[in-house]
Amino acid sequence: MRWGLDSQSHCSTTKDKREQRLRVISREVLWQNSRQFGTLIGLFAVMVIFWILSPYFLSVSNLMNIAEQTSINAIIAVGMTFVIITAGIDLSVGSIVALSGIVLADLLQGGHSEPVAIVAGLTVGTVCGLVNGSLISYGKLPPFIATLGMMSVARGTALFYSDGRPISGFDAGFRFIATGEVLSIPVPVILMGLLYVVAYVVLNRTKLGRYAYAIGGNEEAANLSGINTKLIKTVVYGMCGLLSGLAAVVLTARLNSAQPIAGIMYELDAIAAVVIGGTSLIGGEGKISGTLIGAFIMGILRNGLNLLGISSFTQQIIIGSVIILAVLIDMALRKDRKPLFGKGLFK
Amino acid sequence: MIRAWIRTALLILLVVLPGCRKTEQAGKPTIAFVMKTLNNPFFIDMQKGAESAARELGVELMVQAAEREVDVEKQMQIVENLIQRRVSAICITPSGSREIVPAIRKANDANIPVLIVDTRVDEKVLAEAGASTLTFIGSDNKEGGRIAGEFIVAQLGGKGNVAVLEGIPGHETGDDRLRGFHLALDQLKEMKIIASQTANWERDQGFSVFQNILQAHPEVQALFACNDMMALGALEAIAAAKGKHEIIVVGFDAVDDARMAIRKGDMRASIAQNPEEMGRRAVESAYKAMKGEAVARDIPVRIELITGETLSAESKGK
Repeated sequence: MRWGLDSQSHCSTTKDKREQRLRVISREVLWQNSRQFGTLIGLFAVMVIFWILSPYFLSVSNLMNIAEQTSINAIIAVGMTFVIITAGIDLSVGSIVALSGIVLADLLQGGHSEPVAIVAGLTVGTVCGLVNGSLISYGKLPPFIATLGMMSVARGTALFYSDGRPISGFDAGFRFIATGEVLSIPVPVILMGLLYVVAYVVLNRTKLGRYAYAIGGNEEAANLSGINTKLIKTVVYGMCGLLSGLAAVVLTARLNSAQPIAGIMYELDAIAAVVIGGTSLIGGEGKISGTLIGAFIMGILRNGLNLLGISSFTQQIIIGSVIILAVLIDMALRKDRKPLFGKGLFK
Repeated sequence: MIRAWIRTALLILLVVLPGCRKTEQAGKPTIAFVMKTLNNPFFIDMQKGAESAARELGVELMVQAAEREVDVEKQMQIVENLIQRRVSAICITPSGSREIVPAIRKANDANIPVLIVDTRVDEKVLAEAGASTLTFIGSDNKEGGRIAGEFIVAQLGGKGNVAVLEGIPGHETGDDRLRGFHLALDQLKEMKIIASQTANWERDQGFSVFQNILQAHPEVQALFACNDMMALGALEAIAAAKGKHEIIVVGFDAVDDARMAIRKGDMRASIAQNPEEMGRRAVESAYKAMKGEAVARDIPVRIELITGETLSAESKGK
């Protein structure tokens, strides 16, 4: 969705104009739905194909399994959606996952209580994100460069802090975050669900969310209309870091171990989920529900291809092709076929 | 227009595809083999052995690996997915000795026997998680490290400066090799380990790390690398120094490139594991477990020193 600043200027209320506006709005709603519909079609198509090919695919336990496996990528992808909507990119999320995980694990092993360790892990992620955001907003670095630097700095810090060794073995209480179930739904899935509800509200009902669209649509216009674009961008990257920290908590609990080399290439999985979900890399457009669907498409692909016993080399080819295909279909369903990649990355 | 086409195509798919849905696949016994990676010749040999055993026994074999060797979480996902696939047994070469334990526990809960191949699982973590494995099939890496150490001692005449390239810290395989190597050297006062650093199992890191070691310690006379990839990287670093150094390089695994380097005389020796045999033994043991037969707790696979002499003897033998 494009957040038009011009909507306010349509205040004159002649009947003609109002009708015209209504028509425009209804057309916009239709497209929005058809685009969303496109991503959903993709999801169902993938599910139907695996349901046909594997008798093991469509069972409650397997679907729960997929949801659990998808949760980590889906959590990171929320932050990535916000960042990409502002026409940015965050390449450091995987490294931040590793660093937050190591700090969290070290504190847990040092005998600190779970809440303290978790808050520390989340704080580390947030700080990394805020540094990214400040470098981009106030240091005027392109997002690609700032977060590429952070990717290396955070990874190096994680390795340095841990001496390159994994830190493992935690209490059942902490591991509940990954292994526990509430009403037979795994905790990571519940976390993911809650997070998407919150993210939906923030993106659609708060200033932060609306301003993020405005910045991605036209940063200069947003700035001129009085939005503190620098602050908003910094907060958005900070949020992305915070969610990487949250992913680290889930990952560490899941593996019962934190590794300094964890999370390598997670940024690409998250970006893929966001892009499959129909968010434009030029910024200003995108939906959080699309990202969730995108993350599930990736998760289902990995699961289904495993169930079928497809060779791991072929799997990579298929996953890559599906990403390309999904975006092609999405663009075909779009009325204005703008390229997905543009000034956003290197601006 | 395009939208209409896509919609039509999907409708056709929806109607036609369910007709060809397979169901008879369910219940057919399948052995799964989860490798660390499939872009290392070692694991490809292991796969070969596993496949030939599966053919002989007439069982179905599924070989899977994560895209990256270090990605323990993806390996866990694969195991979880195979549990959903209800395979009869899972052979795993763990990407992380501790990190794989939660996945093993899940397989235990689903009553699927787990066989560990090549890299040992951390027994303490396993016990803490209340998980269990059926057996371990692999080389005695400590013994291999000791053999490599004794070879270097003999080559240097019991006196000299040695450097070590370690694997990823915390990997039992590399740690065992290192322990064995220390076993051979530590009590000898005149054998000095002047540098011991990790190159994370990788060839390019073997190159850069050993280049740094050469800078810092030009007096180094021998190198033990915990795998051949790092040894081959180090060979390139030595070559880049243009003959300023005469260094005895000993690797581990005896992969094809290393054998070639040994024939050419660039590398002195390597320790051969037998990945093909590991793969074969793993599938055979999984088959036994499937049939309800007893399987030994520990199945050692032979290990040997490969030098220029053994290689020329081998080619004469053929």
